[in-house]
Amino acid sequence: MGSADLAPRLAAYAARRMPTASDVEVRDLSRISGGASRQTYRFRLTWSEDGAPRERRMILRRDPPVSLIDTERRVEFEAYRAFFGSKVPVPEMIWLEEGTEALDLPFSVAAEITGYEAAPALLWTEPYLAAHETLARNKWTILGEIARADPFALGLDQVMPPPEPEGCWVRELGMWETVLDADEAEPLPIARAAIRWLRANPPPPAQKIGVVHGDFRTGNFLYDRQGDIHGVLDWEMAHLGDPLEDLGWSLNPVWNFKRDLAGGLVPDGVAIAYWEAASGLRADPAAVHWWTLFNCVKGQAIWISSARAWIDGGNREPIMVLPAWGLQNPQDRAILKVMDHL
Amino acid sequence: MKPDIPAVLAELAGLVARNAAPGLDPAERAGALSLSAALLGMAAEAWDGAAQRLVEENRALRALLADAGDRTGPDAGLAGAKDEDLKISVLSATNARLRAGLIALHAVVEGEDSPEARALESRIWQELRLSTERRRMSSALA
Repeated sequence: MGSADLAPRLAAYAARRMPTASDVEVRDLSRISGGASRQTYRFRLTWSEDGAPRERRMILRRDPPVSLIDTERRVEFEAYRAFFGSKVPVPEMIWLEEGTEALDLPFSVAAEITGYEAAPALLWTEPYLAAHETLARNKWTILGEIARADPFALGLDQVMPPPEPEGCWVRELGMWETVLDADEAEPLPIARAAIRWLRANPPPPAQKIGVVHGDFRTGNFLYDRQGDIHGVLDWEMAHLGDPLEDLGWSLNPVWNFKRDLAGGLVPDGVAIAYWEAASGLRADPAAVHWWTLFNCVKGQAIWISSARAWIDGGNREPIMVLPAWGLQNPQDRAILKVMDHL
Repeated sequence: MKPDIPAVLAELAGLVARNAAPGLDPAERAGALSLSAALLGMAAEAWDGAAQRLVEENRALRALLADAGDRTGPDAGLAGAKDEDLKISVLSATNARLRAGLIALHAVVEGEDSPEARALESRIWQELRLSTERRRMSSALA
């Protein structure tokens, strides 16, 4: 389905969801490039209500047949909803459609947050360079706020099964090792060595069961020139678990963007201090090391599975090849670095 | 590199041809072509050294497996062969068998408590580090 066919069908769906609205139209629908796990479009929804014209900018995210990350869209939707209006800035979720009748594939619609940037590359240019300290403080403070949140009070345990504190690492490592087993197109001696080490040196039990964003990194939030963050995006891999898991993902060296700084912004120790202050939790160095190495393995599993989706023909979009070619070797080098073998 | 470069290039040829058609959404066209350009750049960078990298790595892996003696178990036969067919697909398939043998050897060595095992383990980590040096690309994303 091209954009021309999509717009009227989306407008018809919106009209059904807005019974008091009339003249519902979808305008300026255009695809946003880069999304590997969802097909993402921006558009303007216009309608009349109470005799007045209305307009709202929105984002449509549609599941492709095979994506880089296979996730439950309801989990993602509820994670956004849980944090809307909190200290963790997220876009407002509007509709979730799990059926395929309306647009052939399941989808969600959210309010668009406009006027900010997400691309990491801009951060290494003026005027953004001057805002790195502020951005880093905001980034790891927000991540700490996610860790501080009570997933049971937010009702997220209804859609995300909570593990036992001592079982967080077993579940996550087992899940991503299974992905590697199923999807690797060639042997991965470095990742396999890391997995053996992780199993032989388990981390302590989680201090609490918290919300884990699952992909909190530079590039997955909207920022401005002052270093303020206006939206945390890409909650596809959200789940409940050890909050240190998110900290470890943010410290995965592939997200340093060749700058040898956490997220390309500040030294690891500075990032960890912001996170500890906001979360109220302790980042035990050995546990952080374990979760950082785990996240290197998780990253490799994601890059490998994107290659697998392309090889098997389920998704031949070039975005599926880019991480496989562009991140697999850097991820191996990140593993070596974290294991002190580089 | 997986997916294999020839398969990706063939797919990109079709994608570029489709994007030459009039009437496409400019944003979709721009996204498809910019990603294609990035992949073409990576393929170009990997192309010249691909056979050299595989031959060099296969030789190093065979030497490691040969020096491991009985520890290689059923993979012992891998150590004695040579790369006669220099097609990249054939070299890659051999490389995959050798790297699978290295994984098995690495796990065996980790379980041994002897100076010889530690020395062999150190050589395995050195080879793994070198394997990432051989695969480095200036166009990598990180």
